[in-house]
Amino acid sequence: MSIFAAYVDPKIVQVDNLNYDTLATIYFQRTTVIISELVLFWALQRMLVAMGNRPLQKIINWSLMLNPGLLMVDNMHFQYNGFLYGILVHSLVDAKQASSFSSEITSTRFGKLLRSGILFAALLNFKHIYLYIAPSYFAFLLRAYCFENSGNSIRARSWISAFRPLNFVALGVSVIAIFAASLGPFVAMDQLPQLAGRLFPFKRGLTHSYWAANFWALYSFADRIMIVLVSKTPLGQYFNLALDESALSATTRGLVGDTAFGVLPTVTAQHTLILTVLLQIPSLISVFRKPTFDRFIGSVVLSAFASFLAGWHVHEKAILLCTVTMSVAIANQVGASPNSGVNAGAFSTSDQKGSSALTPRDVRAFMIVSLAGYIGLWPLFFTRPETPIKVLITAIWFVVVGSGLDQCIPKQPKSNDTLLSSKSMLRYFSLLERLYVFGCIPVQIYVNIVHEAVFGQDRLAFLPLMMTSVYAAVGVVYGWLLYSATYFSSSKALDKKKTR
Amino acid sequence: MAPTTLRANKASKSKANTAGAGASSSSPSPHRTTTTTTTSFTTTTTHSSTSPATTPEAPKLKNLAVYRYATWLEENQLKKTAVWIAVAAAVLVRWTVGLGPYSGQGVSPRFGDYEAQRHWMELTIHRPIREWYSDKSKWWDLDYPPLTAYVSWICGFLGAKINPEWFAWETSRGYESTDAKLYMRSTVLVFELLIYISSIVVFTQRWFAHKPWTRQHTALLLILLQPGVILIDSGHFQYNTVMLGLVVWAVNFFLGDQDVLGSVAFCLALGFKQMALYFSPAVFAYLLGKSFRQGFFGCIWKLIKLGVAVILTLGLLFSPWMESKEEILQVVQRIFPVFRGLYQDKVANIWCAVNIVIKLRERFAIQDLIRFSTLATLLSFLPSLVHLIAKPTKRGLIYGLINSSLSFFLLSFQVHEKSILLPALPITLLILDEPALAALFNTLATFSMFPLLRQEELTMQYYVLLGFWVWITTGTFNNVSTLLKFLSALNLLVIVSMHLGEMFVAPPARYPDLYAVLNSLWSAAGFVLYWAYFNYRQFTLVNTPKMGFRVTKSKTHKLA
Repeated sequence: MSIFAAYVDPKIVQVDNLNYDTLATIYFQRTTVIISELVLFWALQRMLVAMGNRPLQKIINWSLMLNPGLLMVDNMHFQYNGFLYGILVHSLVDAKQASSFSSEITSTRFGKLLRSGILFAALLNFKHIYLYIAPSYFAFLLRAYCFENSGNSIRARSWISAFRPLNFVALGVSVIAIFAASLGPFVAMDQLPQLAGRLFPFKRGLTHSYWAANFWALYSFADRIMIVLVSKTPLGQYFNLALDESALSATTRGLVGDTAFGVLPTVTAQHTLILTVLLQIPSLISVFRKPTFDRFIGSVVLSAFASFLAGWHVHEKAILLCTVTMSVAIANQVGASPNSGVNAGAFSTSDQKGSSALTPRDVRAFMIVSLAGYIGLWPLFFTRPETPIKVLITAIWFVVVGSGLDQCIPKQPKSNDTLLSSKSMLRYFSLLERLYVFGCIPVQIYVNIVHEAVFGQDRLAFLPLMMTSVYAAVGVVYGWLLYSATYFSSSKALDKKKTR
Repeated sequence: MAPTTLRANKASKSKANTAGAGASSSSPSPHRTTTTTTTSFTTTTTHSSTSPATTPEAPKLKNLAVYRYATWLEENQLKKTAVWIAVAAAVLVRWTVGLGPYSGQGVSPRFGDYEAQRHWMELTIHRPIREWYSDKSKWWDLDYPPLTAYVSWICGFLGAKINPEWFAWETSRGYESTDAKLYMRSTVLVFELLIYISSIVVFTQRWFAHKPWTRQHTALLLILLQPGVILIDSGHFQYNTVMLGLVVWAVNFFLGDQDVLGSVAFCLALGFKQMALYFSPAVFAYLLGKSFRQGFFGCIWKLIKLGVAVILTLGLLFSPWMESKEEILQVVQRIFPVFRGLYQDKVANIWCAVNIVIKLRERFAIQDLIRFSTLATLLSFLPSLVHLIAKPTKRGLIYGLINSSLSFFLLSFQVHEKSILLPALPITLLILDEPALAALFNTLATFSMFPLLRQEELTMQYYVLLGFWVWITTGTFNNVSTLLKFLSALNLLVIVSMHLGEMFVAPPARYPDLYAVLNSLWSAAGFVLYWAYFNYRQFTLVNTPKMGFRVTKSKTHKLA
């Protein structure tokens, strides 16, 4: 890309020119972002075909294309995420197409799977953030591509006979080849340790400058509260809690640095790694037992969540990984829902593909995670002119997609109509969830307007950030629990149906 | 492009269009009515339970992306939220444009319109009201009518509460900061939201009262996305939408037969910007014609009511300066600064075009020019005026507004490029009645303002918004005559080639303003054609009992 840039303005590509910004440079860089996002557009067109071209399916497409997170991060913050997510969606679509073929061994099916794997490997080399979902890919490809797949789970005896060494080698070689092509030059110059150090900044601390909306945000928040309790009230002496004085100033400043906790035990990188793996394993097992696309995409979502929630030094932008994969999952379910749309009739149980149809619970989880995640992104855009933009984009997205998805939910024949009599798009939401959605408004009004008016710009600057991320974290964790509950219950239900 | 080819184009265009105008209004209509009657017949017989979306005119718009979006909204029962989504989207677009530079940003000695507006806020909060128009500080004189001054006072008052530095007396001249810009931009947006956007929402509800909701919403979206208004108000920095919004409110009241309220709203528009005078012949003719139809006493009573309303409104607005003759004269002189000359910069009207051949400004005295241009303007809106008095219909009112404002723009004294927004307003209101023509007009009008926008480095915003406008309105050109298709393609070709030329070929040293002149010539030619066409249209309109229906003679005849 920098090769093209040299044509426009040779000064752009000089490495020492760090804060170089002219209007021409900005235009050039922004244009490259917009052009590279065409990859996403193309991928979504393919997805539309692969998932069944229903009119309402377009909502999901547009929800992805005009995703406020992507819009904000790419076009305002400046990154090439659209391009990368485009590749990811391509890869997922390949997997979907592969699994929609019959389970007979066809070369196209394996070809698709191989391509999916290769695309994903390339993606990993673009941005290592996709390591978050690599475990599910690994499990899925290993099972679906490298083993004979007759549709049922394999008994222990036949594991060896089902193994397809040729496929295994093909996949392995191509993945290694991609890594070699990307990392080769650095290996040759002996810079690998430095590269690894840059890519995996374990030294940087548990949380990013603004806390990403994950477990650790809640954990840090709990710690803050404990500090206040211990120092201001006699509770500390009562429980005999020691206060680490050095930590007092550390987290409040919100610097990119090591995080220290005042009261609660310190978390190390090993802890987060173990926790992440533990959270991922259940879904991986489920995929490995039966590699359908439904399970695969579900596990991708859950791995992304696990890494986001429990990972070390997670950036807020990683929430996009959860929401994008989640919308692909939702698109898949909309495609599977019989007669979704205006004339959604009775809920048909005889589903040919075995995919689970869209349920209100999925929509609730998706909407809450998206809302929370995007609000969690807001602190990235802190200048005042940007505030209305981020608010409006998110609000428009939430209303359009929320009410669009609401129409996608197939209507149950004998549902308690009295309860759902209201036509609001939030009719499936429980009281707490509604409170959460509407609660965003006062919280954000405080964060964006009231706080500065009351305290000025400098005092307690971390308080609004903390409120935003804690509020968002609650939503993300809740959505994650809801989604995993759906995931595991639905896969169980499908299994039961099969055995009957 | 050489001027000779351009003139040749113009000639062919004008010749072709006069023939085509007749063809497009008379010949396709019988054909259209026959097809529509059959389709409506079949729909009623086969799917008797379907929604009223399949009305006669509906298929015409199917290739319009906005229309499909509106249909989708209707299918999903999103009618209630849709308006909010549209408004939010409109605000979003305006705010994003507002991130760009404004008129005179960082241009040191005098700055631009932004500084003028800021200075008026400073002036109104620091000087007593009677000195507003006689202030001699040799900075930007207040040259808009009192309502602008009052609005400036409100903005200045609130702004000074936030940060007194922005509007400090004398020390704040040329003050620039991101926060001040943010505040100023948000005042524009708030007033636009309260007056203009709300008026458009109500207008679409009233104008499409007997039409399917999808059409109403399509019109709303298209009108809100009209590029010219966005670029001038949110980009260049002005409060035109307050005036335009008040005019639309006046139209809204006229549509609801609330004539007194309508004339009050129109007087407020006049009291905000004197440019609203462009519309006054049509409003006057409409109200007069309507009064004549009330019988003798009804007529007198109505005229008294309207007169009292107008005098009271204007009187209240000007009351602080009413005490002596000198004072009111001073206000009037400020509002009508005739000394500024026949036109400013390069404006796409007739005088500027004639000026290329005959140097009017050097050859004639300014008094003669004023007299001559006023007479010409009068003559050019007279036919439409007379017609409107004779047939004061609601649809005729919109066409009358178009014709009188176009006449003023083309022929009156001291016209600015931005004034094209005035004719553009009623034309845009007809976006679904004359879809292709309205779309084309807005493209041309936005193009005609390009030299101004380029000065302010708003080119990126211009390209994006104009490109978007052309893209969303391409669907309107599907059912029109080949001639119109050709003209629109030609127009696009000329616009693109002029922009490319400007980017890559430097103008010769003798004519540094070559591109600006070509731009104004091309646009002026287009506007003259539009003037002729809309006059023709106004005379072929037919009075219909239900507004918002049937335009041409043959149509009503067949359907009745």
